[in-house]
Amino acid sequence: MNSALGQGLILLSLATATVGCILGFAAGRSGSAAGLRWTRWLAGTYATSLILANLVMEYALLTHDFTVKYVDMVGSTSSPTYITIVSLWSSLEGSILFWGMILAIYIWGFLATTRQGHERMTPYTLATVLAVGTFFSFLIAGPADPFSAVQPRPDSMHTGPNPLLQNHWLMIIHPPALYLGYVGMTIPFGMGVSALLRGELGASWMALTRSWMLVPFGFLTAGVVLGGWWAYEVLGWGGYWAWDPVENASFLPWLTAAAFLHAAMLEERRGLLKAWTVVLLLVTFALTILGTFMTRSGVFNSVHSFTQSAIGPTFLVFLAVILVISVLLVGLRMHLLSDEGSLGSPLSRDAAFIVNNLLFAGFTFVVLVGTVFPLLAEAVRDIKLSVGAPFFNQLSVPIGLTIVFLMGVGPALPWGRTSGKEAASLLWVPLTTSLILGALALALGMRQLWPVVTLIVSLFAALVALRDMVTPVSALMRRRGLPPLAAASLAFRRGRRRYGGQIVHIGVALVVVSIAVSSSYQVIEEGMVPKGQSLTIADYELRFEESRSFREPHRDVLEAQFTVLQNGREVGSLGPRLNRYSGQMNPIGTPAVLSTARQDLYLSLMSVAKDGQAAGLRAFINPMVSWLWVGATVMVLGVLIAAWPRRRQKPATKAAA
Amino acid sequence: MNVAQTPKPAISWPALLVGLGLTLPLLGILLSGLFHDPHDLGNPLEDETAPRFTLPRLDGQGTLSLEQLRGKPTIINFWATWCQSCPLEHPVLEQAAREFGDQVQFVGIAYEDKSERLSAWLQRANRGRPSAYPTLIDVGGKVAVAYGVYGVPETYFVDAQGTVKHKKTGPFLPSADPTADGRLELRRILGEML
Repeated sequence: MNSALGQGLILLSLATATVGCILGFAAGRSGSAAGLRWTRWLAGTYATSLILANLVMEYALLTHDFTVKYVDMVGSTSSPTYITIVSLWSSLEGSILFWGMILAIYIWGFLATTRQGHERMTPYTLATVLAVGTFFSFLIAGPADPFSAVQPRPDSMHTGPNPLLQNHWLMIIHPPALYLGYVGMTIPFGMGVSALLRGELGASWMALTRSWMLVPFGFLTAGVVLGGWWAYEVLGWGGYWAWDPVENASFLPWLTAAAFLHAAMLEERRGLLKAWTVVLLLVTFALTILGTFMTRSGVFNSVHSFTQSAIGPTFLVFLAVILVISVLLVGLRMHLLSDEGSLGSPLSRDAAFIVNNLLFAGFTFVVLVGTVFPLLAEAVRDIKLSVGAPFFNQLSVPIGLTIVFLMGVGPALPWGRTSGKEAASLLWVPLTTSLILGALALALGMRQLWPVVTLIVSLFAALVALRDMVTPVSALMRRRGLPPLAAASLAFRRGRRRYGGQIVHIGVALVVVSIAVSSSYQVIEEGMVPKGQSLTIADYELRFEESRSFREPHRDVLEAQFTVLQNGREVGSLGPRLNRYSGQMNPIGTPAVLSTARQDLYLSLMSVAKDGQAAGLRAFINPMVSWLWVGATVMVLGVLIAAWPRRRQKPATKAAA
Repeated sequence: MNVAQTPKPAISWPALLVGLGLTLPLLGILLSGLFHDPHDLGNPLEDETAPRFTLPRLDGQGTLSLEQLRGKPTIINFWATWCQSCPLEHPVLEQAAREFGDQVQFVGIAYEDKSERLSAWLQRANRGRPSAYPTLIDVGGKVAVAYGVYGVPETYFVDAQGTVKHKKTGPFLPSADPTADGRLELRRILGEML
């Protein structure tokens, strides 16, 4: 019953997407209003059928209908209900179905916001989005069918989803956030294709595309960081980023999307980088598909690679189609993509934006090369190798820091042209302040070069951002005699994009400093700790009290209790765990973390002696890690502020060059 | 201002070349990735001399060393009673050992296991018949370390001169699908060695 219903809905979605796609392209060519109406209707039906299909799958999961293939794969009567609900995205087939639902939500959003106006842009955009939708519905209907009816396996084999996903609540929100980021790039991609097909590449489409890009960009930011946070809280090796191929896969579109958001401003304001901006848009979408290919094809060995799966080749063909069509479109429209303005002087916001875009592109290239290099080595020389963290760190630290530095220079300088004197007067206060604070950090005992440099450039960028937010407020107070709060509120309402952007910059500065400090000043101790005795790490003493084991519905837990003493004073207790899931050989740890603003004390349980008289413990002190999560939250908040729809749609103003 | 009423069908070859120059190699690399299993850890011992060993036999008839087996290709299968797929692989190996027994020598090496459990397991797996090839006990797992065993089962193919020619990670499993049938795969490798 559920099987048939689900399959029926998927076939409906496949049909509506295919027809809608063809009709959309036709309507785009002919400009027919009826064609557009039908395309919108088909897109709406497509979205609705996918959402319903997801609901059917959730219902099957919750009612443990093991005759549905996907439920038979990941279902378990012993899993807690919330695990059962999120099982939807715990494995390949379900996650692609879930992907479809997110695309459906975006399509609904797009239809709702384009009810009036945009008649020229909409048909091609919907056609492109539905082309992508056709591909995913095809996957769900065929190669990754979750709904087929099966003879249920014996109940003992229903062990629930992958234990790594059951281990932490972050797994509930990390995949949806990432998907909202990935899938959301489809809409701006559709707008880009639409603009290229029509040959209408002015600033007007750019403003709309930019705001449609901001939404998935915010989600992608959250998704990437939540992934890091999950790794930190679950994997137990004391870190949050390992340049794992799939982490890289999520970072790549983030980099190009960030570059796009800046390039789009330059195009909007100055008519520069038109071709580049469009290319970034297309590349960002292609990278989300590449990321999905990496996660789902089994080509890369990673914490994310579920299995060797047959959908790899299908995805690769799709990626190839996207890339070739994108290249052709840009090639065909290149003559419309020449710049209107000219670059002012090297000392201008324009120049900072251009260099920062080049650096974003360089960063993307480095990460991409590092990620696919093992494949190349294997193809060419048949050797196994991995590009380790040192490669990525060596290149990403200087590139990243230059980007952060320019994040301060850009907003500090005006658009267009600046004299050397003017530039100096704008830059010297934040620059000297950050240098003085850097010197202070040096005096306080920060000895390593890179963390100090990071601190200086991040402070510089944050100070510029703060000044950029305060200046309009004080100007309003002076000119209009407004009280501070009223002035702030007015300035905020007038320049929400600017405020959003600068808040993101402050978040970036926090994240970057936190990464530099936590990776440079980590302390690690490990050892077998007999009962009643302690392991000492920095000024902490970790006393092993006892171990206990107990059963939870879906796992057996072995927990070791440690009392934490700081400078001899008891500050808390921590219980790192080892969890054993049915159907799984090796236990999976849950580290225990004592977080403070200054540092995290992070305990990872390695083993417990059979008689429970000693515990193998690995302890880390990770300074400033909590600021990473705070910084990321600030970033997402900033994106949200920038993306929040304006009440009145004002035409985008174009600054005279 | 930039609205082209009738877009010229002019294509920019530089843009096309740069675009394809960047994307096609990437696609090629990704395509090549589909033909490699990332979980395949490679075999550093290939074409190297097989590490020597002398290990006690499970049946109690003294010890067996690799030198004693020189002159015949030797197939060394690392396995364990706690291994999930070994019961499925065992009949494949037994069958091959009976068939090729006069041309090649099969040896099982038990990894991280106890002799009582091994004997009982073999008794059950062979349904009371004697094993077609001997099983050795790798005390302390030293031989497995020397061969670089990553997990069980793993099978090494050593030629008559004592050189490692091939390694199979994971089990030889029977299958109705000829492209996935471990029996055929084993035969093919043995055919190459003889």
